[in-house]
Amino acid sequence: MRSSWTRMLCRLLMVLMIWTPFQLAQAGMIGTDQLVVASANADRTTVLEFLGRADVANQLQSFGLDAKSATDRVAAMTDQEVQMLAGKINSMPAGADSTGIILLLIIVGVAVWWIWFRR
Amino acid sequence: MDLVPPLAIRFVLDNARFAAGVFILAALSGCASLMPQTMELAKGLPPGLPDKVELTETPFFSQQRYQCGPAALATVLNTAGVKVTDEDLVPEVYLPTREGSLQVEMLAAARRHGLISYQLAPRFEDVLREIAAGTPVVVLQNLGMFSSGWHYAVAIGYDYEKGTLVLRSGTQERDVMPFGVHEVVWLRGGYWAMVVMPPDKIPATADENRWLASVAALERIGDARNSRTAYRTFLGRWPENVNASIGLANAHHSLGELKDAEAVLRKAESRAPDSVVVLNNLAQTLSDLGRDQEALPFAERAVAAGGPFAGAAQKTRDAIAQKLGSKGAGVQRLQ
Repeated sequence: MRSSWTRMLCRLLMVLMIWTPFQLAQAGMIGTDQLVVASANADRTTVLEFLGRADVANQLQSFGLDAKSATDRVAAMTDQEVQMLAGKINSMPAGADSTGIILLLIIVGVAVWWIWFRR
Repeated sequence: MDLVPPLAIRFVLDNARFAAGVFILAALSGCASLMPQTMELAKGLPPGLPDKVELTETPFFSQQRYQCGPAALATVLNTAGVKVTDEDLVPEVYLPTREGSLQVEMLAAARRHGLISYQLAPRFEDVLREIAAGTPVVVLQNLGMFSSGWHYAVAIGYDYEKGTLVLRSGTQERDVMPFGVHEVVWLRGGYWAMVVMPPDKIPATADENRWLASVAALERIGDARNSRTAYRTFLGRWPENVNASIGLANAHHSLGELKDAEAVLRKAESRAPDSVVVLNNLAQTLSDLGRDQEALPFAERAVAAGGPFAGAAQKTRDAIAQKLGSKGAGVQRLQ
């Protein structure tokens, strides 16, 4: 009971945190970012995009971030970047380690040298 | 005593040699198709590129476990003039339970430091061009056997005669990799590469529209000061681009430089008199300057022009009309 309330509260806070930049946007001016990405209906994409941001922030949190860093990170993304991530974080490459260069690469390397110097 | 191997054995040996030959040939031709861009480069150095470059001044951050993302990003951010360490960047790009960093976040994090991130076209030649222009390039490689093994490294040099790329990679300050080997591991990530630029520079291989979108991304996160510089730089190269003028005006507007915004938009309006966004933003800027009377005709024209921003234009027009008082507001309304 208590934890579901906490979770609800967290979600609400996150939505509010994400909403803030939109309120700061200047009334009346059409933003450049809306312009450089052709969209059929500017008003509608804003709403969808807002939902996407909350969703991605939630997902980032589930990968071990706190709410603040999750929202800060989402805030630095463009709309398309948010859409790219939505629902797909687990299947995307996450660059990590340089260990594990394998034998195959050595063979490829030899082949490469052969090609390069036979040119 | 002559030790002639029995016929059967000789047959097997000869065939083994033959099989090995076939295998190597197959491997070579297989590899060739694994590295189409290297094969293309092998035909000749693309025009305008030096034989050999190495950006030796590029700093090196030896990566901690799983943290090549922060290390690679710190390398290029420092080159672009932002003093950060890889540890500073861990909270910005590292995902604890994925034990790695996502490409999107690598691009996004640079913006938080007032820089512009740009994903290169998936071309080996473009990587070489950026290096030759003095810009180190972050590349995503896959060094593993299967799907894991993703790794960020920073390409900082090449030697065309030897056919090698020089990278700051992981714990190696100077990792030398043959072009083809790099291509094989780079291809697996879809030839993903990015550069990070200070707002007063443009990447050597920048495409006009994609670079504009990259600048707009910086503006979007609220960095008006740096995006103003970036739009100016952009217009220095592509002065005819109306969208960049709109961006510059928006940056001026959010910095409170309304007169500058007006000047930029008026110039844009003379070049693109039917642009809803130019008209709408000019009307809004004039209205913010307290010149609603002057603003209204532009707002009317914006509404009349229609298109995807018609809704926003209508709102601007109504707000201006309301500020002018109710006298003409209802009568002149355009449907």
